[in-house]
Order: sequence, then structure tokens, then C-alpha cells
Amino acid sequence: MGADLPTDPGWDALARVAAGDTGAFTALVETHQERLLRLCERLLGDPEEARDAAQEVFLKAFRKAAEVRPLGQVYTWLYRIAVNHCLNKLRRRKLVRFLRFETDPEEPGAPAFDPPDAGPDPISALEARRRWQSTRKAIAKLPDNQRAVLILVRFEGLSYRQAAEVLGITEGAVESRLVRAVRRIAGEGRSAGFKTEGKR
Amino acid sequence: MNRTMEVELIRLLHGELPEERARELRARMERDPALAEQYLRLQESWEGLALPPTAPVLPGFAQRIAARARTEQAVPTPGWVRVAAALALILGTAVGAGVGGSWAPADPVQEEEPSAVDGSLAESYLTTLEDLEP
Repeated sequence: MGADLPTDPGWDALARVAAGDTGAFTALVETHQERLLRLCERLLGDPEEARDAAQEVFLKAFRKAAEVRPLGQVYTWLYRIAVNHCLNKLRRRKLVRFLRFETDPEEPGAPAFDPPDAGPDPISALEARRRWQSTRKAIAKLPDNQRAVLILVRFEGLSYRQAAEVLGITEGAVESRLVRAVRRIAGEGRSAGFKTEGKR
Repeated sequence: MNRTMEVELIRLLHGELPEERARELRARMERDPALAEQYLRLQESWEGLALPPTAPVLPGFAQRIAARARTEQAVPTPGWVRVAAALALILGTAVGAGVGGSWAPADPVQEEEPSAVDGSLAESYLTTLEDLEP
């Protein structure tokens, strides 16, 4: 990805979008909707909010299609819009909670996170739920910039270089944020008791 | 463990370490159980991170967004309107949540008991209705 792949065919589609071709826009959305929705949901932690966010991200892309420079991959550009949009949403969410004197639901003592069941086996389903909950708590405690890097690298499977491109920072900055995030989570994990499960 | 070594272990964990250096580090871990233990701990916390599967894309998602894009295209919103709307939203949130939410009345107003219907008033109303009937 990145600078050595400057000719993503997606840019042609985006040029058609810029010319007002909504059919090309629909195709662009269909190509990227799954990964973008997944990213938004992982950043925001709420499927409903993620759908709204992804919709806004695509509309932003539609509005900006004429201004963008075709560099790297289209999905990197979309990811960047999505990360910025979701981080802004998280900041607004925190601000509203602060103004209302509300507690953060990710904080200890807040109502438990209730994800869907992981499978028919109750033991493994329980274990999976416990891990999801611990992960969400650990991620929620990270500063926004570390959270974004962690989600891009750990859950979206991006390399340092790809994450750097998405976030518009250097690989060194990605590494530094990741090291701080891992250090923090490792500290959390010792008390929460994370367990190993396969390779990335 | 010093910071450089920690960074190298994390790079190794993420597959970001050059192959030659990765080999050297693995060989060193075989000789150094404390280092191997550090690596294992990092690996456990990294691989122990898990999030639930994300929701599937709803049917017609792309079409709905495209429809919104078409609407925007037909009636483009001027930039100043968007800025004004954003400012109004921020102000509204701040005033509504911060001021309205936290300014509870010092002396809470007692809820009034539902009063009995004033008999004379009801009577005169019914009389008026009767008068209106043919």
C-alpha cells in the first residue's frame, strides 16, 4: 500500500464521483462499506452510531471527491476520514458527558457491556464475552490517538506504515503510540488476566 | 527491560522487525528466559485483545447514502449555512446539557394535586352547549 502503489483504480471511480456520477458513488460505497462500518464500530463501540458515522464518512468523501489528490489507496483516504470523524464523535461524547456530570459507561462500575453470544458452547461464550469486555475497558482507557493506532494495527491488521498513512503521522509516531498503548494494556492485563489465543 | 528492547519485542510481535534482527532476537530469547518471559507477557496481552464480531451491513445501505448524496447534489447547502448550523448545535448542546441540566431549582416546585373541576364553571359550560343545540 501507500506511496509505491499510486494507481489504485478506485481513484478513477472517485474522479467519476467528483463529476457527479452517483452510480460510481454507489459502487464506491458498496466496495468499502463493510470495512468502514467495521472500523467505525470498533472505534465507537456501538453499531447504530457506527452506521450513522459511516454514512457521514461516505457523504464527506462524496463532497471532497473533487479536492482529493490521488495518492496511495482510496481506502486509506476513507479510513482517514473515518478515524477523524469517529475521534471527533468520541470527543463530543466525552464533552456532553462532562457537561451533564455523567459517568463514562466504559469506566469501572458502569453498566456491563452486553455483546451478542459468541457461540453455542456456554463456557467459551462466557470466556469470549469476558475478553470482549476487558478489551473494551482497556481500549476505552487509552487516549484517542493510542486507541486509533491500536485498532488500526491490532483489529484492522494494518502495518505501521499503513497506519501512519491513515493517520497522517510518521511510522515512528505510530510505533511510539503503540508501545505506550501496549505497555498500558499489559499493565491492565496483569490485573484483568488476559489469555493467549492463537496468533494475529 | 530497557525501552529499546521493549520496542524491539513489540516490533517482533507485530512482524515489523527485519528478518535478520528477528532471528537474532529469537536466538537471544532461547538463551535468556527472562527476556522470553517478557516477550510471552507482551504476546499474551496483545493476543488476548478481542472485540465482538461487528454488525452486518444492512441491505440497501449504499443506496440510501447515494440517495442522500443525490439530494445534496440537487440542493447544495452553502458553506456558511453548515457553519451556522454547527455553531447552533454546539451552543444548543452546551446550553441544554450544561446550563439546563445542572441548574436544578433551589426550591423544587411542588407538583399540584389535580384540582376538582369547578362545578359552577362546568355547569355554565353545559348550559351554553344546551343553548347552542337546535
